[in-house]
Amino acid sequence: MPDTPSKESVRTVTASTFNSLVLEGKGPIVVEFMSYGCSHCRTIAPLLEQVAKMVESKEQIFMVNVAVDQELAEQYEIQGTPTFIMFLNGQGIGMVEGLQPDLSSVLAAVTQPFE
Amino acid sequence: MQTENHTKPILLFDDECGVCRHIAYGVRKLAKNKSGQSSICDRPIGNDPEMLRKLNPNLDIWNAYATIHVVMPDGSMKLGGEAVAEVLRSLSETRWFTWIFALSIFGFRPFQAMLNLAYAILADVHPIFGCESCGSPVAWVRPIRWMIDSAGAVFGLRRKSSAIPHFTVLSTKARATFPVSQSKASRLV
Repeated sequence: MPDTPSKESVRTVTASTFNSLVLEGKGPIVVEFMSYGCSHCRTIAPLLEQVAKMVESKEQIFMVNVAVDQELAEQYEIQGTPTFIMFLNGQGIGMVEGLQPDLSSVLAAVTQPFE
Repeated sequence: MQTENHTKPILLFDDECGVCRHIAYGVRKLAKNKSGQSSICDRPIGNDPEMLRKLNPNLDIWNAYATIHVVMPDGSMKLGGEAVAEVLRSLSETRWFTWIFALSIFGFRPFQAMLNLAYAILADVHPIFGCESCGSPVAWVRPIRWMIDSAGAVFGLRRKSSAIPHFTVLSTKARATFPVSQSKASRLV
C-alpha cells in the first residue's frame, strides 16, 4: 500500500519505510499502531489529525496499520489498537495504550513523553 | 483517479466483525441464482483507503467501517437502512416486499424509517455478540452487556474482555522482545 499523501498530518508508514522515517528520523516522532476496523482508532483519528496539526512544528506523527504490517506490530509487542510509541532520534522512549478519546488526552499522550 | 467499473451493487462489509461476516455470507448465498450468478457482490472493506476510493472517490475507509455501505453501479452510495433496503431489493427471496420501503406518505417513508431504526439498533448492539473489532458498545447497550456478563458468570461462562478501556485487543500471537525498556516506558493511562 502506498504511503498517504503528505498533505495529511498523520502519514502512513509501512515496514519498508519504517527504518528511514522513524528509526533514522530526527527529533520527536510518534507512531500510532492502528487498524481501520478498530472503532477506538476511528474515534481517535480526527483528534489525532487535530493534534498533529497543533504539534507539526515540533513532532512528526505516523501511523502503522497493524492489519497490513503485522511483523512491525509483533516486533513492538503491540497487544491492541490504538497503541502509541514515542521515538526520540530513533530511540523508543515511551508507549501509551488504551487512550481516552478526547483532545486533551491525545495531546498529553503525544507530548508528555518528550518533556 | 480512475474509478472501478462494476455492473452490480457492491455490499462492503467489515471482515474483522463476526456478525458482519455472517450477514455477508448469508447475502452471498441468497444472491446466487440457479445459474450461479449473483445479483449483488460482497467485498471486505480491507485496509487500503486508495482501493476504496477507486470504487467511489467519496468513499472513506473510516466511514465504511462505521456504517454499512452499498456502492451502486451508477456510482452512488447507499448507507445504513437505505443500504439494507438495497440489499433486500437485490435478493429474489426478499425483493417482493421491498416496495414498502419506497412507500411515501406526505414525503415520509414510514417503512424505510422503521428499517433505518432497526439498522441503527443492530449497529449499536452487535458488539455484545462478541465482536472484537467493534469495540465498546454505546452507553444504552452497556447495561444489556452487563446483564449478559452477569448471567454468564452465574452459569460459569466468562466473556473475554479487554483489560484497558477504549482499546481493541488483537488476537494472541507470538511475542518478540520489546525494544523500549520498561523503565523508560511511560504509560499515561
